[in-house]
Amino acid sequence: MKLEVVRARAERFGGIVEVARPRALLHVDREMMRELGQPHSPLWDSAAPDDAPLVAPTEVHVVLSRRCAAGCTGCYVDATPDGAALSLDEARRILDELAAMGVFHVALGGGEALELDYLFEVAAHARAVGITPNLTTSGLGLGVREAERCRVFGQINVSVDGVGDAYRRVRGFDGFRHAERALRLLRAVKPEVGVNCVVSRSSFDGLAEVARLVRRMRLNELELLRFKPVGRGARLGEELTPDQGRRIYPLARRLMLRHRIRVKLDCSFAPMVFWHRPSARAAAFWGVQGCVAGDVLAAVAPEGHLTGCSFAGPPEADARVPGAARAAWSEGFASFRSFVRSAPEPCASCEYLRLCRGGCRAVAEAHGAFSAPDPGCPRVQEWTARTAGRGQVAGGGSFALPVVRG
Amino acid sequence: MIFRKGRVLRATFGCNPNSSSLGVDVTFLLFGAIFASALALMLGALLRRPRTP
Repeated sequence: MKLEVVRARAERFGGIVEVARPRALLHVDREMMRELGQPHSPLWDSAAPDDAPLVAPTEVHVVLSRRCAAGCTGCYVDATPDGAALSLDEARRILDELAAMGVFHVALGGGEALELDYLFEVAAHARAVGITPNLTTSGLGLGVREAERCRVFGQINVSVDGVGDAYRRVRGFDGFRHAERALRLLRAVKPEVGVNCVVSRSSFDGLAEVARLVRRMRLNELELLRFKPVGRGARLGEELTPDQGRRIYPLARRLMLRHRIRVKLDCSFAPMVFWHRPSARAAAFWGVQGCVAGDVLAAVAPEGHLTGCSFAGPPEADARVPGAARAAWSEGFASFRSFVRSAPEPCASCEYLRLCRGGCRAVAEAHGAFSAPDPGCPRVQEWTARTAGRGQVAGGGSFALPVVRG
Repeated sequence: MIFRKGRVLRATFGCNPNSSSLGVDVTFLLFGAIFASALALMLGALLRRPRTP
């Protein structure tokens, strides 16, 4: 067996190579890039600073629209049936720009991207310019024909925040049957189909049911996404309790072992993982990181705004303008990139700071300060309780999260 | 002169369809640093391996 390099991009430390089987992105040093026959890069002529961002994101989340008929109570993008959307031409131009920058993957979403009649043309264009398109969908409106056309995507995840009636309780509409049908149709045409589950205060106890569904339908992953108090979700009071925050990583491991499924936690869960003190070397090798906005990740909004992530950060450029994204990437995103250098306590003294990066900026911003430590981090909660003279919070119950801005 | 072989520094498997899930793959994090080091060597060897006709 040989790992075939599909694409490669030079970086200061060496480069990133994409291999197709197994599908992976590998960071390699300069020597390996030379061994692989990659051309010399001027980036290699000077020492690589430890904290330099990548020369381009590896992945960009393209929010194609704020258009969706479902009306979920916690929708992050405030989607409505007639919300804003990128046009096909705009989406194509943005993909051209991202391809020229060396982006490997795009995550297409919304809104409900399947409501756009040009979604598959966008995906085909991404393939044509060398980018792997991936999709998140609620599954609403997905029929046999659409499922067949979904072969164009890399990974497709269907949002399932609970099984059966739990779905309705969490999302505010009865969509489980649609989601289950979509999973079945998609799984019949491709193996790279998984479930996205937003982990909120209400959905936490139903995660085992969702894991069983993933196992039963032979899906390839369960992605657990931390609830973020943004968009319509800002007013729901659904953030995890401190006790749930401490339990999420052990629970994810248990679900993985019990159901023999791949379980992933999103980057905003990093503080909850690092609180359990996993091997920092292993975490670095597997790319386990906290906020990756403005480094590994960028996002494009339906209005064209380029941001560090789709949940937070100021617009850095209009991605629809040729050259704007590339120019912004080299100079912008200071609010994300400067956190590690100027981290306040208790992050400053945390041994995982360089990996965790202070947790989720979107959650911190929702609680009042973009550059503050993530208030959902167990270490931050313990430190806050200590400095406030309120004693330990181990075991959970007494710590109150700050009030989220309306 | 000592010939230094190139190294694999980081590996992320699969594709991410989400806005923020470039996070923690619990599956792999279960295995510790020794497994990661061994896998880095193996991936390096498989990258270098000549193509079989």
